[in-house]
Amino acid sequence: MAHRASPLLYVFLLAPVFYLVALIGFPLLYNIAMSLQDVTLRNLGQLVRPFVGLDNFRDVVADPTFRKVFGNSLVFVGVNVVGQVSLGLVAALFFAETFAGANFLRGLLLATWMLPGLVVGALWKWMYASQYGVVNYVLQALHLTTGPINWLSDPAMAMTAVVMAHIWFIMPFTMILIAAALTAIPGDLYEAAALDGAGPLARFRYVTLPALKPTLLAVCCLVTIYSMRAFDLIFALTGGGPLDASNVLPLLSYQFSFQQFRFGIGAAVGTFAVVFVFAVALLYVRTLKYEARP
Amino acid sequence: MTKKLMLACVAASWLMTGGAMAQKVVTLWHPYNQETDLIHVGIKAFNESQKEYRIEARLVPYTQLTAEMIKAVATGTPPDLVTLNDPVVASFASQDQLVDITDRIKNSKVIDLGLYYKGPQTSGVWKGRRYSIAREVNALALFYNADLFRAKGLDPDKPPRTWAEVRAAAEKLTDPSKRVFGMGFSAHASEQSTFQFLPWLWQAGGSIDKLDAPEAIEALQYWTDMVQKGYASKDVITQQQNDVINSFMAGNYAMAVGGPWELPRIQKDAKFDWRVTTLPVKDGKNIRASSLGGFHFAIPKGAKEVDGAFKAIEFMSRPTFFQDGWKSGLMSPRSDSEVKDPLWPQAYAVFREQVKYAVQRGPHPDWPEISKPIQTAIQESLTGSKPPAQAMKEAAAKVNPILAKTPF
Amino acid sequence: MTKRARSLTFTIVAFAGAAIYLFPIYWMLISGFKSSAEIFVNPPTFFPRDPSLEAFHSVIVQENIARYLRNSVVIALPVTLLTLALGSIGAYAMSRIRSRLVDVALVIVLLLQVFPEALIATPIFIIFKAMGLLNSFVAVILATTSKTLAFALVILRPMFLQVPHELEEASFVDGATRFQAFWRIVLPMMRTPLLVVGAICFAQAYGQFVYPITLLTQQELQPGSVGIYAFIGAELSDWHRVMAFASIYVLPILALFLLLQRNIVAGLTGGALK
Repeated sequence: MAHRASPLLYVFLLAPVFYLVALIGFPLLYNIAMSLQDVTLRNLGQLVRPFVGLDNFRDVVADPTFRKVFGNSLVFVGVNVVGQVSLGLVAALFFAETFAGANFLRGLLLATWMLPGLVVGALWKWMYASQYGVVNYVLQALHLTTGPINWLSDPAMAMTAVVMAHIWFIMPFTMILIAAALTAIPGDLYEAAALDGAGPLARFRYVTLPALKPTLLAVCCLVTIYSMRAFDLIFALTGGGPLDASNVLPLLSYQFSFQQFRFGIGAAVGTFAVVFVFAVALLYVRTLKYEARP
Repeated sequence: MTKKLMLACVAASWLMTGGAMAQKVVTLWHPYNQETDLIHVGIKAFNESQKEYRIEARLVPYTQLTAEMIKAVATGTPPDLVTLNDPVVASFASQDQLVDITDRIKNSKVIDLGLYYKGPQTSGVWKGRRYSIAREVNALALFYNADLFRAKGLDPDKPPRTWAEVRAAAEKLTDPSKRVFGMGFSAHASEQSTFQFLPWLWQAGGSIDKLDAPEAIEALQYWTDMVQKGYASKDVITQQQNDVINSFMAGNYAMAVGGPWELPRIQKDAKFDWRVTTLPVKDGKNIRASSLGGFHFAIPKGAKEVDGAFKAIEFMSRPTFFQDGWKSGLMSPRSDSEVKDPLWPQAYAVFREQVKYAVQRGPHPDWPEISKPIQTAIQESLTGSKPPAQAMKEAAAKVNPILAKTPF
Repeated sequence: MTKRARSLTFTIVAFAGAAIYLFPIYWMLISGFKSSAEIFVNPPTFFPRDPSLEAFHSVIVQENIARYLRNSVVIALPVTLLTLALGSIGAYAMSRIRSRLVDVALVIVLLLQVFPEALIATPIFIIFKAMGLLNSFVAVILATTSKTLAFALVILRPMFLQVPHELEEASFVDGATRFQAFWRIVLPMMRTPLLVVGAICFAQAYGQFVYPITLLTQQELQPGSVGIYAFIGAELSDWHRVMAFASIYVLPILALFLLLQRNIVAGLTGGALK
C-alpha cells in the first residue's frame, strides 16, 4: 500500500483549493460582512458600513415570507434530488443497453440541459399557460383532466410546476454522469457474478449499485447544491409567485437586494443557504468513509 | 491559450484606449433593444452634431437595468448617463446617487419644464431639487378588437365608457368555445401590476394612502370579479404587459389595457381591426385617470462627464427630436409638441388625450416597498386566497407606516 | 425474446420516450418559425401556420449571432482546459491522500459554491477591477472556472477512486515518480470520464450568464448567453427571435455531445451491462 504521501500529491490537492479560495473567498466574506451591516444605496460603495450584528438575521427569521420560502427551498431540493437521481439512474441504465440509436438519443436528451435557464423558463411558461398551453391541451385531449389546470396562477400548483420543469431541465445532466460512471465498472465483475449464477437484478444490486455508490452520492451532493442555487429558470417561469408559492432562497435574496434595495437583508438570506449547504457538505463528507475502494 | 490570452489583452487595451483621443466619451446605459427606438437615432445624431463629446452606449437587458445600476454604485463605476424607470428615480436620488440638475435645467435654453405635461413636471423631483427628466411619457389606454365587437353585436365606434359598460362588454365578448376572454390586464407580481391597477384605484376615488378605504376595495373587487366571472383569464397574474398584448394580438383577449409602446407590434402582428379608447370612468365618479409611465434621463453620482451628459440630455429633449419618436410609440413629454400626420392617427389622438389625465407614481424613495404590498393584495384577491377587503387592509397596514415616515 | 426483437423494442421505446421528453425543444424550434402573435394563440398550433424565416434571418444577419457564439466558445474552451487541468490533479490527490485534509478540502470547495451568482457578481467585479482585467475574456474565464472546478473536483474524485492503486504501485517499483504514474498510467484510464466532465464543463461555461454580464460591458465581447437578452426589452419581447436564437445557440454544444457519444462507446470495454 502506498505510504508515501508524496509532496506532489499535496501540491495537487492544494492548487485547485487555493484557486477557489482566492477567487471566491473574498466574495463570500463580502456577503457575510454585508449581512452583518446596515447597507443602503448611500453606503453601498464603501466597504465599511454601520455594524448591526445579527439584526438582519433576526428580521429575516421573523419574516413569515422567509419561513415559507425556506420551506419551499427544502421541498424543491428534496424532490429534485430524488427525482433527478432516480430518473437519471433509470435512463442511464436504459441507454447502457446496446440497441440501435441508443447513443444518439442519449446525446439528444442533453439538449434540454444546454438551454439557457431563461429559455427553459419561457418555454415552460407557455406550455403551462392555462388557456393556450400545450400541457393542458394534451391533458384535456387525453381526457385526463376535465378543465384547465392553473399551473402557474394557482398557488397550490406553482411549486409542482416549477419542480417538474427543473427536473426536466437537469435530469440529462445527472444521467450522463451516471452513464460515465457505469462505463468505468470493469466488465469482469459482471462476468464473475454471472458465473456465480446471479441474474440481472442481482447483478444490479451486488455489482452495479455498490460500484456506483460513490458517484451517486457525489451526484446527490451536486444536485442538492445546484438546486439550492436554482435561479434563472424559476425567475423566468414564475418569478417566485404566485404569492411566493414557488419562491426559493436565492430568488428571495435577489428580490430583497435588487428590487427592494435592502442589501443587508438580501445578504442575510443568502447566508442561510451557506449554513444549509455546510450541513449538506458535512453529511456528504461523512459518507466518504463508506465508499467502496477497489 | 497564450495566444488567445495575448489577443484578448491586446483587444481589451485597444478598446480602452480607443476612447481617450481628442473626444470626451459620454457613457450611456439604456435598455432599448428595439431598432426603431429613438435613442439610436439620437445617439448617432448627437455624435455627428458636434466634436467635443461622443456617446458610447451600452445596451443593458431591461430586466437587469436596476441591478446593473446598483452594481455600478457598489463598485464605483457608474455611467455618465442612464435611463431609469420613473418610479426608481426617487430611490436613487434620496440616497444621493444622482447628480442634482435643478439649476442646469432652469438655465437651459432647450428645456422648458413649463411646457411639459403635469406628471413629468413633478416626477424626478426629490425634496425640491430635480434629479432626472422624462425622456418620454406614456399612459395606459384600452385596446379593443373591433371585429370581435361586431361579431357579438357591439358597436366598435361606440366603445365602453364606464366601468359598467366595460364589464357588460367583457361579458358579451367572452366566448369559451372560441377561447376568447373579454378583458385582459396585467396582474404580474411586479411593478407592472401596480402600474396597471392604479388607474382603476384612482378612478374609484381611492388613493394609495387609504388602501383600506371602500373606494380602493371597490377597485380591487372590480378586477377580482372580472377574473372570477371568467371575463379575464386566471393567467393574468402571470402575464406581463406585453404578454397581455400578445394574447390580444392572437385574438384571445377582446379588450386589453396597454400602452403606446405596443403599437409598432400591434400594427405588424394584429390581423384584425384594432382600436384604442381612453380608460373608462367609474359610474357616478367620473374621474378620468391613467398611469403615467416612461423612462427618465439621469446622471449618476460619480459620472465623469457631467457636462457632456447634460448636453446629450438637452439634445434629446428638443421638441423637434420627438417628431420621430411616435414611430415607435414614444410620446413626447412636452404637451406642445404635436406630431404632424402621425402613424395610427386614431391611437395618437387617444393617447394624447389620455396622457393629460395620467398620474405619476410617487415620487417616493421607498416606492418598491409601497408597490409590493399592492402587488401582493392584487395576487391574493385574484387567486381567491383572500377577499379584496382583507387583502387591501393588510396592504394598507404595510404601506401606511412607510407613508407616515415619509409622505409623498 | 430474440436479441433482435429485444433490441428493436428498446429502440422503439427509446424513440417514443425521447420524442415526448424533447417535445419542448420541438416547440422551441417551431416557435422560431412563427410570428410573434401566433406563439400565444389559443388553441396552440403544433405547426406554424405561415412558416417564416424572418426570425432566423434577423438573428443571423442583424444580430450577428456568429459573433456571440464565437465569444461563447472563446470563453468556454479555456475554461474547460483550465478546469480539467486543475480538476484532475485535485481529484487524483483527493483519491490518493488518506487524511482528514481531504474532507476539509471538500467541505471548503462545496461551501464556496453556495452563494447565488447574483450576489457574488459584485465582489467578483471588485476583484477584477483591482486586477485591471475588466472587459477581458481572461476575467470571465478565471471567474467561470471557479464554478466548473468545484463540479469537476466533486465528480472526478470518486471516479479516480475506481482506478486501482496496484497499477501505480507497480510502476513505483519500476522506479516511476508519482507524476509519471499519474500522467502515464492513471490519466489514460480516466479518458472517458475526463471527456465527459470536460464536455459538461464546456457546456456550463458556454451557458454562463452572470459573470459575462458583470465583467464585460462591451457588447462585442458578450457571449450568446447574454446576447439572448437583447431580445427581451422594456417595451417588447421578440419571443420568436429568442427561440430562433436559442435554437441556433444550442447547436454547437449539442453537436459536441453527439460526437462524444461515440467516445463513450469506445470507452466501453467488454460491455458494462449484459
